[in-house]
Amino acid sequence: MDNYEILDSLSVEEIGKWAKFLDTEKTIFERMKIKKRTLVRLGGALALYLAVMVSFTVIL
Amino acid sequence: MYVIVFAFFFELMDSSAGMGFGTGLAPLLLLIGYEPLQVVPILLISESITGFTAGIFHHEFENVDFSWSKKISPELRITLMITLFGCFAIFFSVILAYFALKLPTDIVKTYVAILVLAMGLITILRFQKKSSIYRPKLLIGFAALAGFNKGIGGGGYGPIVMLGQVLSGIYEKSAAAIVSLAEGMVSILGFASFLIISNYGITIDYALLPSIFTGGFIAAIISPYMVRVLPNNFWKICIPIYALIIGAFTLINVYL
Repeated sequence: MDNYEILDSLSVEEIGKWAKFLDTEKTIFERMKIKKRTLVRLGGALALYLAVMVSFTVIL
Repeated sequence: MYVIVFAFFFELMDSSAGMGFGTGLAPLLLLIGYEPLQVVPILLISESITGFTAGIFHHEFENVDFSWSKKISPELRITLMITLFGCFAIFFSVILAYFALKLPTDIVKTYVAILVLAMGLITILRFQKKSSIYRPKLLIGFAALAGFNKGIGGGGYGPIVMLGQVLSGIYEKSAAAIVSLAEGMVSILGFASFLIISNYGITIDYALLPSIFTGGFIAAIISPYMVRVLPNNFWKICIPIYALIIGAFTLINVYL
């Protein structure tokens, strides 16, 4: 299967389905709410940032 | 401090409108007085981390589905295809550099800027259209064109892939997420090629890395949230207008 066949086989409804659902079913204020799981991942991102900055300090 | 602010702004726009981190920030830093070897490899390292971060958070904030555990999602397949063309572009540019083939930079950059301006205009003119038809052939064509332009040294990979996706019928919010992740993956290869070059006596200056990374990383988390909250109609108009600004900025940078 080449690139074209793979992409052609994709259903257009499937591409961006999450974003389309949020836009049609939820208001801006509902979309502003952040899940607990996301807060945990934000904490993970902060840890990644600190780790990279410490690595920069050590390596450079 | 101003480098952090610039990096923050351009990454914020890059992760939400799909373009501008390389095309906008690089010429600006060069204009301030930094050398290309202080800027280009640092942008590539930073973009590889921030691209992945933005991609993960676009998935987290449900702008896109990058899942691959049960079945590779359609968006991830498109990302991999766009990345593939970006990787070809890097190889092509390395081959051109190896054989010392230098195309006239001003002409190549003018051509890319005009292409971005034209695509931006077409996207604005299509704003009234309620729904777009998904055209995979067109998407592959734009991905190849973006790779070719990057390969010959004209840049504009982000703007062309982003506008190309929108013109091919991909939902704007998801298109921004796809470009972010693809740019992150392509930047890894770009930086790797710089590391190989550095083995042949070219020294990379890492002084700008902490500032650019700090601004870029914060923006890479905020912008997926911004994309989620603001309605798609806002991005429908914001993306082509920003593309017109980037295209005009590139033209000004070549001729002034």
